[in-house]
Amino acid sequence: MNHGPQILRFTFRQRAEHFITMAVFVLLCMTGLPQKFFEAGWAHALVEGFGGIDRTRWVHRFCGVVLALATVIHFAGAAVTIWSRKAGFTMAPVRKDFEDAVLQLKFYLGMTNRQPRYDRYDYKQKFEYWGLVFGNVIMVVTGFVLFFPVAFAQLVPGQIIPAAKVAHSNEGLMAFFVITIWHIFNAHLNPDVFPFDASMFTGKISRERMLHEHPLELARIEGRPVEELAGHAAPDHGPEHPHG
Amino acid sequence: MRKMTWAVAFLLAAAAARAAIPAEQDDCLGCHTDPGQTFTLASGEGLPLWIDQAAFARSVHGENLRCTDCHSDKSSDHATGEVKFKTRREVTRAYYEQCKGCHFANYTKTLDGVHYAVMSKGNDKAALCVDCHGAHDISRPAQPRTRISGMCSRCHHAEADVYARSVHGRASAGNPDVPVCTDCHKAHDTTDPRDGALAMRTPEICGRCHSDAKLMKKYGLSTGVVATYLADFHGMSATFQKGQRRQDGKRLAAVCTDCHGVHDIQKADDPRSAVMSANLRKTCARCHAGASETFPRAWLSHYTPSLEKAPLVWFVQVFYRLLIPFMVGGLVLQIALHLWRVVVNR
Repeated sequence: MNHGPQILRFTFRQRAEHFITMAVFVLLCMTGLPQKFFEAGWAHALVEGFGGIDRTRWVHRFCGVVLALATVIHFAGAAVTIWSRKAGFTMAPVRKDFEDAVLQLKFYLGMTNRQPRYDRYDYKQKFEYWGLVFGNVIMVVTGFVLFFPVAFAQLVPGQIIPAAKVAHSNEGLMAFFVITIWHIFNAHLNPDVFPFDASMFTGKISRERMLHEHPLELARIEGRPVEELAGHAAPDHGPEHPHG
Repeated sequence: MRKMTWAVAFLLAAAAARAAIPAEQDDCLGCHTDPGQTFTLASGEGLPLWIDQAAFARSVHGENLRCTDCHSDKSSDHATGEVKFKTRREVTRAYYEQCKGCHFANYTKTLDGVHYAVMSKGNDKAALCVDCHGAHDISRPAQPRTRISGMCSRCHHAEADVYARSVHGRASAGNPDVPVCTDCHKAHDTTDPRDGALAMRTPEICGRCHSDAKLMKKYGLSTGVVATYLADFHGMSATFQKGQRRQDGKRLAAVCTDCHGVHDIQKADDPRSAVMSANLRKTCARCHAGASETFPRAWLSHYTPSLEKAPLVWFVQVFYRLLIPFMVGGLVLQIALHLWRVVVNR
């Protein structure tokens, strides 16, 4: 599937941001979830592996600070890129995303043979991106409340602190589910990319996959209408996926 | 043959079903009769030689032990010759060893206890079997239970005084529900509380009574204290720190006794209680330096979050209880539909 001409999909910086986020996310889950499920045997094994609860917490806080910084740097970088018009605000949710979602679900349900044509990011990727962004904001804010409870209690009512704990632990669990179920499916188990979509690590994607998954962006890159794209396998025209 | 005779004599005595000293004792009691009789040891201490026959007869051993069962080294002519003991304590230490002959399980437990540990480091005063149980007058220790605290207080006066003024100590007279020393510290394998390992076990120790529904109902107390503690930051941390010691200034999570006190526990609405709302800020500040007046509100006082007690926490809980299944269910459903379509179109 990844044969033939390749197109650069992700810049080095984007790949680096993804890699850092991925690494700290794994560590945050490994050091955070045992604290939520503190009665489970695996939780104790993990905490022991990190050298006790105190060290586990320091690893967690360190990764949390890294994630907070990564989030801030990402926003700053994205803002500069968009304002300088180097790239469009391609992540912005637009009306078409909702129409695409409806059409895609109709296709899954067998109500239509048409599939949406996607631009640079499809609605699933946007959903996951904004989920991560809002999730990160919640995790970072509540995480700092739990990191400095005495200082926060001087500024806000005391009850904010246990509320932040409940939010942090549940939001974290939800992030874990979304990543393990949704992201792993879309990036690995999805029949279109199985077993592994490497584009986030190599930065490259085959033209063939672009044609199939992001035809509108490919049309923009190649500067011609989507209907005239070479290959003519744009999914709009039938139920058959161009496998191979 | 001689043994057999004694066995028969013992059985006869037992059959008589009354407190009776086996006949052999007559040999010993022929001499040990005078209440004022003492032997001066090398240390200058007087060793009483008198045996209170009535007290021995009432004791748990009165009907089934002979003098030589414990004093096995004594022959009929031991009144003459060298006396190997220099102090009274040496006498006690020599004969306490005899208890393990029958009470091996409890003796073995003492080897893990703090009293044995300090004794083996040379502390001569460390409690031996007979220091708590008595020698010739041994009776069942928990009758009444407050006797146990009385025994410990003979050496541990300061702790006993504090305990006596606590909510537990004040209620202990005639109340079998109240913890006495050994309920927390254990009897034979008494834990050394100084390294903090015992403190880390208090959620379990206190929880034995304080999560017992029947018992707590009797006193109008909540059984949720342990569960709510564990659900909070301190309890979760303490769960991971089980078995650790507070040595070398190592800071471990707050356990029951850190807020409520140890021997001086009072009711939460008692002005002397460290957890009484007016005292709480000070109690928090012992660990959380700079804790403000609003800081104790971060602790839900053992209440489960509810619309009345902690509405914000309750709301966040409900929000996620709805959001997580909705989110995860929705994503799983879409994946299932996707895969189903792939299979159908194949």
